[in-house]
Amino acid sequence: MNMNPRVTQRIAFSALLFSTLLVMVPVGMVIVVILKQGAGAISWEFLSQMPRSGMRAGGILPAIVGTFCLVLGAVCFALPLGLLAAIYLSEYSKDTFLNRIVRLAIINLAGVPSVVFGLFGLALFVNFFGFGASILSGSLTLGIMILPVIITSSREAIDSVPQSFREVSLSLGATKLQTIRHAVLPHALPGILTGTILGVGRAAGETAPILFTVAAFYLPRLPGSIFDQVMALPYHLYVLSTQVPNVDSGIRYGTALVLLVIVLLMNAIAIAIRAHFRSKKKW
Amino acid sequence: MSAAARLPDGQGSPVIQTKGLDLFYGNFQALKGVDLSITEKKITAIIGPSGCGKSTLLRVFNRMNDLVEGARVTGSVRLDGKEIYAPGTDLLLLRKKVGMVFQRPNPFPLSILENVVFGLKIHHMYRKKRGILYEMARKSLESVLLWDDLKDKLGRLATNLSLEQQQKLCIARLLVVKPEVLLMDEPCSALDPMSTSRIEELMQELKKNYTIVIVTHNMQQAARVSDEAGYMLLGELVEFGRTHAIFTAPRDKRTEDYVTGRLG
Repeated sequence: MNMNPRVTQRIAFSALLFSTLLVMVPVGMVIVVILKQGAGAISWEFLSQMPRSGMRAGGILPAIVGTFCLVLGAVCFALPLGLLAAIYLSEYSKDTFLNRIVRLAIINLAGVPSVVFGLFGLALFVNFFGFGASILSGSLTLGIMILPVIITSSREAIDSVPQSFREVSLSLGATKLQTIRHAVLPHALPGILTGTILGVGRAAGETAPILFTVAAFYLPRLPGSIFDQVMALPYHLYVLSTQVPNVDSGIRYGTALVLLVIVLLMNAIAIAIRAHFRSKKKW
Repeated sequence: MSAAARLPDGQGSPVIQTKGLDLFYGNFQALKGVDLSITEKKITAIIGPSGCGKSTLLRVFNRMNDLVEGARVTGSVRLDGKEIYAPGTDLLLLRKKVGMVFQRPNPFPLSILENVVFGLKIHHMYRKKRGILYEMARKSLESVLLWDDLKDKLGRLATNLSLEQQQKLCIARLLVVKPEVLLMDEPCSALDPMSTSRIEELMQELKKNYTIVIVTHNMQQAARVSDEAGYMLLGELVEFGRTHAIFTAPRDKRTEDYVTGRLG
């Protein structure tokens, strides 16, 4: 059967548009459902108080603080390490067998299921190093998990700095290190930041890596040191949803909403930084 | 190579001298037995068709070819009488003395002032003294004839300037570290004719204080600006001498073919 090409064209276009819209449905639904069910629970008290009555009442402050501590710790560990590795891989390493293995390892690190990171953290940090279930163990585990994101995005940012910047700097008599410090990194910084924030967003939302390494079931006080356990939003949500009977669904969805907002906010900041610097960038 | 290369009519002292200079990229020989002498406070032009090795030759003088993997240099290259390829050469000092202007203007996406003082930052000169930094930037911008236009806009983004201003700014960025020799790798190829002529005027100004080597595929430009010139073909320096002689009475048939427009 021969169809009019114009009709075929229209059908194809409709199919493409329909698919695109379909993709947006789940995203929209998640936001709408969580917002609708959870918005009612959000109040200053909810954000600033300890949970009470076996988490059936009160707020979620310790979980918010806990997530914040974990993310901060993960970044403090993963950003310097990842950035230095990225600088080495981009600026110093030659295309040798060993380096190809390193690159491959980093790519594969990104593909490791998060629960495996959790078990790994339990074995290494909690037991072997004896940090116990603590912010330190959890942060390190999350840090390792977001390393690939940070390395990959830092490398992309460094590689996208024009070669001419390096040439100019070297031709002015700068050392390689000075060149990296003054002519490469300042211009790669926005990309590095973007990657870091995306990593932070991911770390904030993960449950499995913190499950065995730090997360407390119910701990209605704020942490005093990095060797304390803390509650964390994703795990708290899991607990509320599966482990505690008769929880008001408002509290559950309220917690989900807070977590969602934190993660989306991180992504929004990353996008804003990128957009800001892209408009300034002229090379 | 033949005796075609000779020292130009002995006025001014030589700053850079090469003898039997060969350069290999792996197995490919990019420069073949280049003998030349660059005279102090003169403009020396290197002309020749694309791929003849003229940019490669230029990058020998500040050892920027070191960045190319597999590049190997043999023969003698002297700057102020000292072998620059000898082991133990201070590469950073060499590059400070022998600065480079690139084909495309390449200011950093920073303010005009930050661009000019970039080299000072690298060399830890006057680091904490803002007044002196500013004064150095002023002198440098004055010597490239940009100060009057830009003195009130030093905080603006350098990449928003016109290409001509950008190229002059790149020269200013170079002058601030007090080089002796300026290597210019087709500095006008991204510019329109009016801008080109103003850069050429600037070069005449600069040669009072600096030795300039310019690589260009624009023969008219070489004829206009240079005192001495060399013609390169396939990695060989075919002829080297006073610009006037090269253009009016070339001794080599290949040079004649090129300057009369039969090749190129």
